[in-house]
Order: sequence, then structure tokens, then C-alpha cells
Amino acid sequence: MDPVILDCTQLSTREINAALGGLPDGAAARVMAPWGRHNLAVGLDNRITVRIEGNAGYFIGGLCAGPDVVVDGFVGWSVAENLMRGTVRVRGNASECAGASAHGGTLIVEGDASSRAGISLKGGTVLVAGDVGHMSGFMAQAGILLVGGDAGQALGDSLYETVIYVGGSIASLGSDARVEDLTDDDVLTVKRLADRAGFEHIDPGNVTRVASARELYHFDALAGQRY
Amino acid sequence: MCGIVGLHLKNAELYPRLGELLVPMLDCMASRGPDSAGVALHDGHAMHVVKDVGPPVEICVRNGIAERGGFQGIGHTRMATESAVTTQHSHPFAPTPDMAVVHNGSFSNHATVRRRLARHGIGCTTDNDTEVASRFIGHQVAGGADLADALRMVLKELDGFFTLLVTTGTQFAVLRDSFACKPAVIAETDDYVAVASEYHALAGLPGIGDARVFEPVPEEVYAWTR
Repeated sequence: MDPVILDCTQLSTREINAALGGLPDGAAARVMAPWGRHNLAVGLDNRITVRIEGNAGYFIGGLCAGPDVVVDGFVGWSVAENLMRGTVRVRGNASECAGASAHGGTLIVEGDASSRAGISLKGGTVLVAGDVGHMSGFMAQAGILLVGGDAGQALGDSLYETVIYVGGSIASLGSDARVEDLTDDDVLTVKRLADRAGFEHIDPGNVTRVASARELYHFDALAGQRY
Repeated sequence: MCGIVGLHLKNAELYPRLGELLVPMLDCMASRGPDSAGVALHDGHAMHVVKDVGPPVEICVRNGIAERGGFQGIGHTRMATESAVTTQHSHPFAPTPDMAVVHNGSFSNHATVRRRLARHGIGCTTDNDTEVASRFIGHQVAGGADLADALRMVLKELDGFFTLLVTTGTQFAVLRDSFACKPAVIAETDDYVAVASEYHALAGLPGIGDARVFEPVPEEVYAWTR
């Protein structure tokens, strides 16, 4: 079946998302001329493939539970926000809050991601080939953030149970984030994720593991009032 | 919310088209600021500020902005959060005859800074927070500071969230606060530097497909000089 063509110059965002949502599982769609349009391919729960052919705006692929979305360009804030299942792959860079609050699924950014990547991650997987900006992984609760390049200031601030792997340097760690020894399981996990994303530049045995020190983890009112 | 746009032209062949290029950028940001709007245009001799209450595109049509030329201009679409919706409260603010400031965000200690400025004999005409910041920047430059240094002083003296875009008779500068809470995208080509709150405001510019597009990082001043 030929891909369905949806042209942003002819259709409203609501019309595009309604058309995508109405496609049967296995269908393919191409979204043309996005030119920074917000909210494309959001809230879809069918198993389709969507190719966004150009630079897109905010919230691309957000709230999805099924499709595989590829953006041939860069994206604005909050790509794949609250992703549930499926994948979102960005061929270029992503702006702030990439993969924010993703419960499941996988976000792959082939370029850099800006600040607050993986903020409040709730079980999703965020894979960034390049660098991430400041406060990435802030209050991330579950899931994995893999950074192929360098991480900005305050990485993993107030981290819960998300594990962060960084291939490059870390400008600084946030409160309650700490570097931990890399286990054999970690190396296997990073290898599996890097292979899946096609990140050949990441050496799985040579990444830094950052996780929660659990000092801020909960409000321990019985522990001598030490906060 | 609020939207900001700016265009600093490097290629003199584009000077006659400044308004024509800037108006669609401003119109695109109307979704971020429907209350009021304004622009400041620099033609190399003087700065012209036009601002009013109402939809941005109507203000531009009423004042023939698309027909105006110049080497750089900035614009603002306002969604007021902290002071009244009037022409006087809308952006750009011009603290000196050749300086214009637009701002997306809010300053929390503007009353304190307003009092400090008053002790130097600098008064504000509105209760708007951005006017205070603009007069602060104007005061720094009047005291001899380079525009980039004046903006770095904003980081020290003013508390709040901001993306600031400032023009003078020769310069064009952008600064985001320490947390970079308010958006900004810069596109640079051999012909121009363009700034907007959101990329789609830049998408109609000539040669945008080959532009270097990036986000300004927090606390770093980006400045271009004619």
C-alpha cells in the first residue's frame, strides 16, 4: 500500500491527526511541509509508520501508544512527551524537554537534545546520539536516558530510579545524583540500546553511569529530622 | 507567554524588504501574544517604534510596516500577565532614542530595580516590568557599558524569567535567563540573523533551509554588530 500523503500547507493540524488516527495498523503516512508546525502525530494508538518530512514544532509524537514516527529534520520543545509505546526518531536536533514524562516507548534523537531532556521520565527510553543540555533527567522516575555526547549542568537533579548513561563529559551533577560503577548488566543494556538506535560511536564499556544517591528520595520524617 | 521576533540583515540588498520579512514573523507569533504588538525598526539613521493594542497583523497593516525598510528590526506580540493591556505597556520599550527592548518572560524584582533607578534620576512611565529592565540596560549603556556587558548586568541585578532581544543603532543582541525557561531560536545565514520564540516564525525566510539554526544557551550573550 502506498503511503498516505498529508500536506501541512493544505490541512489543519487537527485534520492531519484525525487522518493519521484513522489509518489501519500497518499503514504508512508521509506528512509534508511541516515547517515548524506543532502537535503533529499526537495521541495515536494505531501501529502505523509516520514520516514527517522536514523541521517540526512542539510536542511531535506526544501521547502516542503505538506508531513509529520519524522526523526528517529538527523538532521543537517536548518531542515524544508522555510517550506510552512505539518509537519517535528525530534525524536532527531536539529542543527542550525531549521525552518529558514518557511512560514507555523509545525516543531516539540522532543530533543533540537541549535542556531538560528526559525530565520526569516515567519508564520510557530516551536515546540521544549527541549532547544534552542543562537539567536533563530532572526528577526522572523510571526508564533509561542514554547520552552519546556530553551532558550539561545539573544532570539528574533530584533523580528517582531512572538510570542515565553518558558517553562524553558531564558538566556537573544535580542534587542527589551520583556516578556509580558500571556493571556487566549496564554494559549489555547500553550495547543493546546503542545497537537499536544505530549509535556506533558509543562504546558500551566506556560510559558513565549516573543514578540516584537516594538521599532526597523520600521525606524521611523518622530519620532524626535530617533533610 | 508573549512572542518575540527579530531580524538583523547583513546583506544590504535585503534592507528594503525588512518590514516585508518581519511582518509575517510577527503575525506567526500572534498565537503567543494576541493582546498587543509592536515593532522597532532601525534604518541606519534613526529608530522607529510602532506599537498598539490589538491583533499584530492589523497593527502592521494600519502602520504600513511591511512597506518599511531598514537594516534591523524587532517585534513583540504580548500576552499580558503582570500589567495592563495598553499601548504604553506594550513592547518594544525604548529607554534611549536608539535602543529597543522586547522581552518574553517576567521579572520578579522589578519594583526594587525601579527604586534603584529612581535614585539615579531615571524614572519609568509605566508599572511594566520590561520597562524597568529596558531602562536598566539603557542606564548601563549610557554609563559606558558595551551592550553585551549591560546584558550581563541584567543577570546580576534582575531576577526572573526572560528571553531578551535588544537592538541599538549598531547592535543586535539576545540573552536568556539561567534556566532558559522561555524559548528562543536563532537562524543565521550569510544574509541575516533571525530570532524568534518559535521556529515556525522563521520558516518563511529566504534561504532558511540552509541556515544554521540553534538555540541560545542560558546566560550567554549573543551579539551582532553592523
